[in-house]
Amino acid sequence: MNSKIALQTAGLIVAGVVLALCANAFASHDRKLALVGSYPNALKVPPHEAAPPPAPQMTIIPQVPTTSQAPAPSAATAATVTQTTATAANETMGLNPAARNPAAITTTTSAPHAPSPPPPITNEDPLKRFPAHPDKPYLEIAFADVKWLHEKNVLFLDARRTSVYEQGHIAGARTYSVWESDVDDKVQKLYAERGDPREQANPIVIYCSGGDCEDSHMLAQKLWGIQFNNLYVYKDGFPDWQQHGAQVHTGVKP
Amino acid sequence: MKRLLAHPWLTIRVQIALGAIFVIAALPKIADPPSFAHMIYNYRLVPSPLINISALMMPWVELLAGLALILGAWKAAARTVIAILLAVFIVAISINLFRDNAIDCGCFNVADRGKTHEQRIVDMKVDVLRDLGMMLLVAQLWWAAAEEKRRFAEPPGSRSVA
Repeated sequence: MNSKIALQTAGLIVAGVVLALCANAFASHDRKLALVGSYPNALKVPPHEAAPPPAPQMTIIPQVPTTSQAPAPSAATAATVTQTTATAANETMGLNPAARNPAAITTTTSAPHAPSPPPPITNEDPLKRFPAHPDKPYLEIAFADVKWLHEKNVLFLDARRTSVYEQGHIAGARTYSVWESDVDDKVQKLYAERGDPREQANPIVIYCSGGDCEDSHMLAQKLWGIQFNNLYVYKDGFPDWQQHGAQVHTGVKP
Repeated sequence: MKRLLAHPWLTIRVQIALGAIFVIAALPKIADPPSFAHMIYNYRLVPSPLINISALMMPWVELLAGLALILGAWKAAARTVIAILLAVFIVAISINLFRDNAIDCGCFNVADRGKTHEQRIVDMKVDVLRDLGMMLLVAQLWWAAAEEKRRFAEPPGSRSVA
């Protein structure tokens, strides 16, 4: 390659970079990217999860997580499966990455396709049923527990893109897309809103699109990194919520 | 055959087609950088700090290279950039095929299409074949340019009159 071609090639690339930076500077908040992102599992290949086997073949460890002080989430209706998930928090993501050492993540799910009647609505304090778990970034929960927490007006965060959120989201959920540039500002705002450590121990449910979607896990790790210690990931996400015919809102407002 | 392959009629059409493909591929990525960043993340090959900057930069470089080919300006640079991009795509998709990491390639569409693992693996194989096909188009452009250069380098008397 002669020097003229090398120079022109460099020119094309430099022009591309300049245009990209200008476009990003003027982009709307949901199209804008932070120049340097933080994605802890960027180089970790997730194990391929085969289609869920029929319920009887699932390996279920019928035990309550050792860290729980109170009955496990929806113990009557859900089996507790302890496993390290595909998105296990081997590195901490967030504003204070050095703050926490992640442990294995406990997954609490209902057996697939098993009928799980929602737990009775009582005046029980969500904190009694879903106590803080500072040693784990998040616990995965299924519809019955999510619905119960929703009835208790627990904070819900939608980790999907804002454009998708506007098409439909869990009633009352706030939009917190991990791929948009303002997510760190929103996380800071939430931290300011819940500055008291007792408030940080209140349950927060985070969801995205279910399946192999990891956005909710990434957001949970971000929040866990700044001391929120009672986070729940709705593993099956919004499609499951819709399937159950639960309350959905559309538009920009929660 | 050699003359046919390097014929200007063919070269100009290959140039425009390849340029148009890259312009069309760049537009959805430019329109939605966060989704493209998500696609790059799914490849699990780019270190965390480089994901966003790659997602911002790559589509614009694709667009400029495509436009340069269509307009016939800086052709050598444009085909070099396109060849490098195609090589990167082929290697990246092949590595993920080898690792059985099923992903949407994000080549022409950055929306999550909700495909199954098996569907994605099939798509990835098709994507590699398509990119190899485009690499052949780049090779044709290179061949034609080299032929043209060789023809002009020959002494005037030895040139054959068309």
